[in-house]
Amino acid sequence: MSTAVLALSQRLRRVPLSVIVVSVIFLVIVLLAIFAPWVAPADPNRQNLLGRLKPPGFEMRGITYWLGTDDLGRDLLSRTLYGAGVSLSVAVLSVVVSSLVGVTLGMIAGWFRGEIEILIMRLVDIMMSIPAILLAVLTVAVLGPGFLKLVLVLGLTRWPRYTRVAYAQTLQVANLPFIKASELAGAGAARILFHHILPNIAGPVLIVATAEFGLMILMEAGLSFLGLGIQPPASSWGSIMSVGRQYIERAWWIVAFPGACLFLLVFSVNVLGDWLRDQLDPRSRTR
Amino acid sequence: MSEPMKSSKTGHVLEIRDVAVHFGGRGGLLGKSGPVVKAVNGVDLDIARGETVALVGESGCGKSTLSNAIVGLQAPISGSVRISGDEVVGASRRELNDIRRKVQMIFQDPALSLDPRSTVGATIGEPLIVRGVAKGKALKERVATLLQQVGLRPEHADRYPHQFSGGQRQRVVIARALALEPDLLICDEPVSALDVSVRAQILNLLVALQKRTGVSYLFVSHDLGVVRHICDRVVVMYLGRFVEMADRDTFFANPKHPYTKALMSAVPEADPEVQRAKQRFILSGELPSPSNIPSGCAFHTRCPLATEICSRERPELTPRADGARVACHHA
Repeated sequence: MSTAVLALSQRLRRVPLSVIVVSVIFLVIVLLAIFAPWVAPADPNRQNLLGRLKPPGFEMRGITYWLGTDDLGRDLLSRTLYGAGVSLSVAVLSVVVSSLVGVTLGMIAGWFRGEIEILIMRLVDIMMSIPAILLAVLTVAVLGPGFLKLVLVLGLTRWPRYTRVAYAQTLQVANLPFIKASELAGAGAARILFHHILPNIAGPVLIVATAEFGLMILMEAGLSFLGLGIQPPASSWGSIMSVGRQYIERAWWIVAFPGACLFLLVFSVNVLGDWLRDQLDPRSRTR
Repeated sequence: MSEPMKSSKTGHVLEIRDVAVHFGGRGGLLGKSGPVVKAVNGVDLDIARGETVALVGESGCGKSTLSNAIVGLQAPISGSVRISGDEVVGASRRELNDIRRKVQMIFQDPALSLDPRSTVGATIGEPLIVRGVAKGKALKERVATLLQQVGLRPEHADRYPHQFSGGQRQRVVIARALALEPDLLICDEPVSALDVSVRAQILNLLVALQKRTGVSYLFVSHDLGVVRHICDRVVVMYLGRFVEMADRDTFFANPKHPYTKALMSAVPEADPEVQRAKQRFILSGELPSPSNIPSGCAFHTRCPLATEICSRERPELTPRADGARVACHHA
């Protein structure tokens, strides 16, 4: 028991302070998002038209609005807390969908080469030459708005970057002798791709994923702003900020607090991603 | 000890007949056909059970291409490669997979021939897993035995390649190659990436394993010192063809082809007296491009003995009195 604790503390000591700090930030945001219904001081959708656009700390009828109110007099703290869950789950799910699709296609193009490679990579070129937001708008316009559709749209329009990275990395790794050795050992394509190539290209893919994670939150915000994402009265950080943008001269807090949360979340994910990539590399795990 | 010229079909783990491997030639940029690179140009070779044959030549002569053709990683345009009687050329994926039980390969750089994300145990066990030979406890035991055979300890199975030295990594590579108990092991410069101090250890390990298992080696190398140490027979390759083939002792005592002589004179002697007294046989010029092989004898552009016939007629490998076979008009 005590040796286990000792081992844990020794392992923790090797974790850099910055990583511990951002992990705490990340965990707090995630926990707040999950427990928003219990943590939030008020109903995020209850309007108080007499208390519109009030600054942080505003008090009315015995309720304190710690982060102020928005254009409809709704409690900004509660809306931010509820919005966290929406923003997080859209970002996480769409990153999962797009990376699964993108990495698989990239590995297939890089491993099998030939016609399938041309097909996939030209498709990537086409996808990347269309502005992502336009593509997303078009797709939502056809499918209609909604949470799951939003995830699908983001996931299925954002895969080309993963494909590019996975493809380039696969080309590189596929030429290494250990892949040749696996082929000689009798390993099939599926085993080589998922057993040997995937773990060896995971680092760069993870970097793309953490960068995309922040982008997904912003994309969701943009689409919600256009009325194609999360439908009111439900809130996400993006939709709160989009609305707040119009009032930024009179009520800075509407944009500032969800914006700060967004910044903290994306920043901590990026730092964690870097650290995780190093941890995934067995060469850096042991002295 | 071996009789290389014996034509008997039995007992040969490798029989190569007139194998040629060419690259490119079609589908170049804008539909133009690029130059054809004739990497291997019609070679014959037999390797008997338990025999070690060295394939010697400078880089770019087609050694590695020939090795790849033997294991079916590179399809020849013509010829036949048989491993313990089974034809590799034109084999289906499934047939090829079966044949590869009997032929495995060791690569030059042990740092690149092991998956950095797989434990050593997983790497050695892979051929056994994918072929359904062993799993679970039996697999673990087999891996432990293999590790011991190559001079490592069973507990090394849980470690990653980066935790080993170069020599130890090459031992792991050898253990993986031996997992399926192949008849033939192609060693592509297995010690040239290693420190001189561990080369001898790896070579001795290969010799010891051969004694125990009866495996044959095709030993691709450009280091004649190493070749002398380990081989029964030597084959010299130049621009995709064999130019000399002889038993080791004959080969080193009496090299015949001018190219072989040049290779030999490039090997430094330990004794400075001998080194100074040695007659140097220096080649002029570079290795010609395999996409533009000289007419007649491919070596005539660099050969000090070359005469007019050499650029007209290609010499065939012909047997000499001492059993060596040489492709030269003048030697």
